[in-house]
Amino acid sequence: MGKDECKTMLDALNKVTACYRHLVIALGSTSDSQNLREELKKTRKKAQELAVANRTKLTSLLKDKNISKDDRAEYERLWVLFTSSVELLEVDMKRSLEIGQDFPLKVPTRHLIQTGMTGSTTTVAARAMSVQNMKYEADANIDTVDLKELETEIAQVDQMMEEMEMKVQVAPWAVEAKQEAGAELKSTVSVGNSSVGVISICEEEPKETVEGETGLMKVFAGVIFTAVLLIAGILGYLVINL
Amino acid sequence: MTINTLSQDGVQRQQMPCLTKMERMIISMQDPDMGIKLRNQRLLITVIPHAMTGLDIVEWLIKKCSISDEEALHVGQLFVKYGYIYPLKEPRNLILKADDSSYRFQTPYYWMSTRWPASELDYAIYLAKKNIRKQGELIEYEKECYNALHKRINHTWDFVVMQAREQLRASKQRRKGDRIVLECQEQAYWLVNRPPPGTQDSIDHGPERRTTNTRVQLNAEFYKKEIEHNRISLARNRVKSSICLESYVKYCEQYQPHDPIMQGCLPSNPWITDDIMFWNMNSETVALPTKLRVERWSFSFMELLNDQMGRKEFLTYLEKEFSAENLCFWQACEDVRHGETAKIPEKVDEVYKQFLAPGASRWVNIDSKTMEKTLEGLKRPHRFVLDDAQMHIYFLMKKDSYPRYLKSELYKNLLARAIVPQETKKSVFPFMRRQRHSSPSPALATQTAEDDGKAKYSNSNSGTASRL
Repeated sequence: MGKDECKTMLDALNKVTACYRHLVIALGSTSDSQNLREELKKTRKKAQELAVANRTKLTSLLKDKNISKDDRAEYERLWVLFTSSVELLEVDMKRSLEIGQDFPLKVPTRHLIQTGMTGSTTTVAARAMSVQNMKYEADANIDTVDLKELETEIAQVDQMMEEMEMKVQVAPWAVEAKQEAGAELKSTVSVGNSSVGVISICEEEPKETVEGETGLMKVFAGVIFTAVLLIAGILGYLVINL
Repeated sequence: MTINTLSQDGVQRQQMPCLTKMERMIISMQDPDMGIKLRNQRLLITVIPHAMTGLDIVEWLIKKCSISDEEALHVGQLFVKYGYIYPLKEPRNLILKADDSSYRFQTPYYWMSTRWPASELDYAIYLAKKNIRKQGELIEYEKECYNALHKRINHTWDFVVMQAREQLRASKQRRKGDRIVLECQEQAYWLVNRPPPGTQDSIDHGPERRTTNTRVQLNAEFYKKEIEHNRISLARNRVKSSICLESYVKYCEQYQPHDPIMQGCLPSNPWITDDIMFWNMNSETVALPTKLRVERWSFSFMELLNDQMGRKEFLTYLEKEFSAENLCFWQACEDVRHGETAKIPEKVDEVYKQFLAPGASRWVNIDSKTMEKTLEGLKRPHRFVLDDAQMHIYFLMKKDSYPRYLKSELYKNLLARAIVPQETKKSVFPFMRRQRHSSPSPALATQTAEDDGKAKYSNSNSGTASRL
């Protein structure tokens, strides 16, 4: 069905946008490298392909006059999600252009900001491209060549967004989100637990985030303590009497 | 389309110049030879490089810019305030301490920029991510922001949730050390851009002006106006600084003997000796003025007019000359200008009847052009309708009567009779000398009226305090 197809495509675009942002954050820092620039380029191109595909699909669906009201509302919601995604992508592209220009790689003294990030971003890019391992085949001067391409691509995305604004009449304020506040907590327990220990290091609040566990620990400790006391009492009694 | 907070009327915003300067400094700090010394941060199991102490930063700044300790600390504070460097131990406390507390550089994506202000969508995504990580345990103000955002950008809320989940999944792909750094960086960014209530907001954006109505059309009309404006500005009267500085020096020299702070005042400074003779002698209604005061009238016409006594003397002189109506007219005009708005029409009427009407009792001599203009304006009286006539009379008096007054017998007599007060002699015996302390505070006076017992205690307290 059209809706499910749309949703999967939108999810894919969402994934690539998130990965792209992650890669742009690493630009200019010590995890910046030739590979990163190539990853950025590939992710960007993939994102654009997905964006175009999404757009054609959604515009065709929205132009269709013979759809029910519910369907139309659903498509409008998907449209709003799509536009937000593209906006985020556009901003990230513009920023990557700016940072890329400020931090060229092929200079005698590189002044990359030492942010503490030293690992590579290969895995993130692999996730974006949905491949197991990334292959790097770019030239040495990718950082300058790529920037020119980036400029043209930004112009293309701008144009696409303008067209979208003009052609598709969707009122964003009429769209209601399906998820209520706090919806993200429901299905992502696994994501939360694994990073709990990590976060408490950089946070000030030494809050115990998993209350049930500590309660159990307390009871257990109490039991052990009383057992030790009893044993000590018994031994003492025996010693005194013998 | 979603509400776009980035594009402001399509005009490309400029980066603030101070931020560009800060960025240059940060980049120079990265130099492998001349940059800041970096250490490793140890957290239980992981070791994260590229940490520096506050002392390192301050010392580097002192060496690089050859500035003092204090200044280096202040400059370092700016870096932390604007988010280029963030503290590691106490992330919410954005200050630089010149000791061994550690700091780290912020990644360029999160640098403060007026071109890319932090958007609501991004903040919503950040809060959603935090919500997931902390299982719903957000701080109070963050919870409020979260709810407010949920209402405001409700149409993209699904996107926020989706994107938050995806971003977390993407960051899971990295090493533990990098993950920690990423989270600290993002947290630092949002602490600067959305400061918690009660902390200082370092980015004073000011109100967002959506001035789409007054968008200027760059057409021929606009440029014609610009050219005219510039032409008028060129023709503006300018004084050479050498000339105006000369007159400034002359002014200072002339007024120096009259300045109580520079020259001291006779009989004595009331603020020091609690002796109000100085004010009494210079009040408006005193029999004999002081010499300084009378001399001052000769400096300029305005000085004479500003002093009530001077005005009175001048009036007596003008009466002798049969031109007193000028001064009366001038006074009446001043009253209109500075008086109540409701009374203006009747006041103007009075003035007209007394001074301007043909055959009036105290008719003033104004030239015909000004008279016509004033009479025209009297039909619709407003505060400044008599300005032209008043100016004319003022200049008449200034050019004509005032110099003659200064040369007159009246003035010279007054000058001769004017007194020069004696400086109060300091008593020979020290214990007879007047205590030079500030008067008791008025708050104290009210307290004594209220409560006697308490007042006595506080009185003696403040007495001892003031004597210290």
